[in-house]
Amino acid sequence: MRKYREVMRVYLKAQLAWRADVVFSMIFTVSKILFAWLLWGMIFRERDLVADLTFHGMLSYYIVSSFLSQLEMAGGISGEISARIRNGTLSNYMVLPVNMEGYFTAMEAGVVLFYLSFDLLAAAVWVFVFRIRFVFAHSGTALICGLLMAVMGLFFMVQLNFFLGILTLKYEEISTFLMIKDNLAALVTGSLVPLSLFPEGLVAVMRLLPFYYVTYLPSMLLIGRCEDEAARGLLVLGGWCVLMQGVILATWRKYRTKYDGVGI
Amino acid sequence: MNIIETRNLTKTYRRVVKGEGLRGSIRGLVKREYESKEAVKNLNLRVEEGEFVGLIGPNGAGKTTLTKMLTGIIAPTSGEISVMGFYPNDLKNDFKRQYAIVMGQKSQLFFELTANDTLRLFKEIYGLSEREFRETKAYFAELFGVEELLDVQVRTLSLGERMKMELMAALLHNPRILFLDEPTIGLDAIASRQIRKFLWEINRKKGTTILLTSHYMEDIRALCDRCIVINHGTGIYDGSTETLFEKYQRDRQITVSFRQPTGEIPLPEGAVLKEEGPYRKSIRVPKEKSGELLQRLMEYHPGDLTVEEDEIGRVVERIYAEG
Repeated sequence: MRKYREVMRVYLKAQLAWRADVVFSMIFTVSKILFAWLLWGMIFRERDLVADLTFHGMLSYYIVSSFLSQLEMAGGISGEISARIRNGTLSNYMVLPVNMEGYFTAMEAGVVLFYLSFDLLAAAVWVFVFRIRFVFAHSGTALICGLLMAVMGLFFMVQLNFFLGILTLKYEEISTFLMIKDNLAALVTGSLVPLSLFPEGLVAVMRLLPFYYVTYLPSMLLIGRCEDEAARGLLVLGGWCVLMQGVILATWRKYRTKYDGVGI
Repeated sequence: MNIIETRNLTKTYRRVVKGEGLRGSIRGLVKREYESKEAVKNLNLRVEEGEFVGLIGPNGAGKTTLTKMLTGIIAPTSGEISVMGFYPNDLKNDFKRQYAIVMGQKSQLFFELTANDTLRLFKEIYGLSEREFRETKAYFAELFGVEELLDVQVRTLSLGERMKMELMAALLHNPRILFLDEPTIGLDAIASRQIRKFLWEINRKKGTTILLTSHYMEDIRALCDRCIVINHGTGIYDGSTETLFEKYQRDRQITVSFRQPTGEIPLPEGAVLKEEGPYRKSIRVPKEKSGELLQRLMEYHPGDLTVEEDEIGRVVERIYAEG
């Protein structure tokens, strides 16, 4: 485990090397919250509830869900693996005595930890400035389930992106897969619009997919909603994680020998 | 004891071929065509522990493919391969802990961080104790003379300094085998000489087996007692480096520049004028006649003069021609 902890630390340090990036990341978080405050403020001027949420409940959902989706940066993993397979530099990782998926997971954790710290700080400041009465879950179980699900969701996205990345070994070009994944995830995670605005039937289908549990359900659990879905959510997401792990192992074993490490 | 052993090792790549123009692209979309290229053919190789072996050959000869198979990066198509008793492409961590690879054009360092940061990461990846890490780091930092550069952001280092850091990171865990692919590429003469000196010390003092791939004959000549010449994926020479140079590297290329326009110069027997101009001439001359030619050239008071050894392509041609 120590080696993966060090990988995480190295990527955290690498993020800290770029000061402008730190500043722009904070500005981005702040502007998102400001935009949401203005937008939802206008909508709630004429009504008290939208999709069963109050103005402060909606802002709390928005802050939590955009915070979680901002932390989900695993998309970079598939791009990096794909590029490295194509230009031959995946060998940089292959020659190290590490599990490559573990390495990329630790790398993602380091990056997430960086954004977590700064985004949390920015979000806290704006919750205070706009006097948002942040709606938190009252139940400890819901909070724990929400946090656990958020971590599992991030891990699943790492797995998914790792899997899509190694598909380059077979298909050489994976941008279509990435586009489908991004569009599906954006729709199903509720990162733009709460899923409670969708018809029940569609939401029921989405609940079978892992994306529903990556941002949307953890956000709802953290603001004290959908507690009855927590156990099922953990089970479904856990199942997807196990399934994806099996798929990764099988794919890696089958296609690894196709790697030709062009130019070493 | 053989630390590396291959028998009839073969690697065949399959690559896409496509007709010219848009029509070829459309046809390729419907029906993809492939061709096979044997990068390494029935190669037999034995390297003993502690040897310093040079692997030379022209571009596309199969040197890099062989290195990739020996390190497990790619799988052979057929034949047998054993490195320290392992089948490399199993990519077992126990295997990977015992070797290191340095590629002149690929870096393991984090450019936005310091070399110390990468070394600390490698310490954890290879499971070194703090004491072992500090001692080894201090040893190499002193050997390479880079103590004061360890806390400098890697991207601000010169190419030569960066290569020393690459070598440090690779050698931190005291590997049994070090694979080097063009370690002096792009380096100036001083930096190349320093790197060669370090490699020589590592081989002699630590007993590290080194397999060096290089285009530069100077690298091979200065470091390797034994060298293997590969061309079209096949080993065409395996033996003493000295014999190779003595037997097959027969010419010198002398390039001379003049301050004043200079006419015809009488050449010794066997010398051939390769390039001629009033201010510059390039002559290929048998090495035993190079002294005589130099003496003649001196009479014309040259402004500058370089003497180069035969390039690898010519050596390969001769090995082929003479068997």
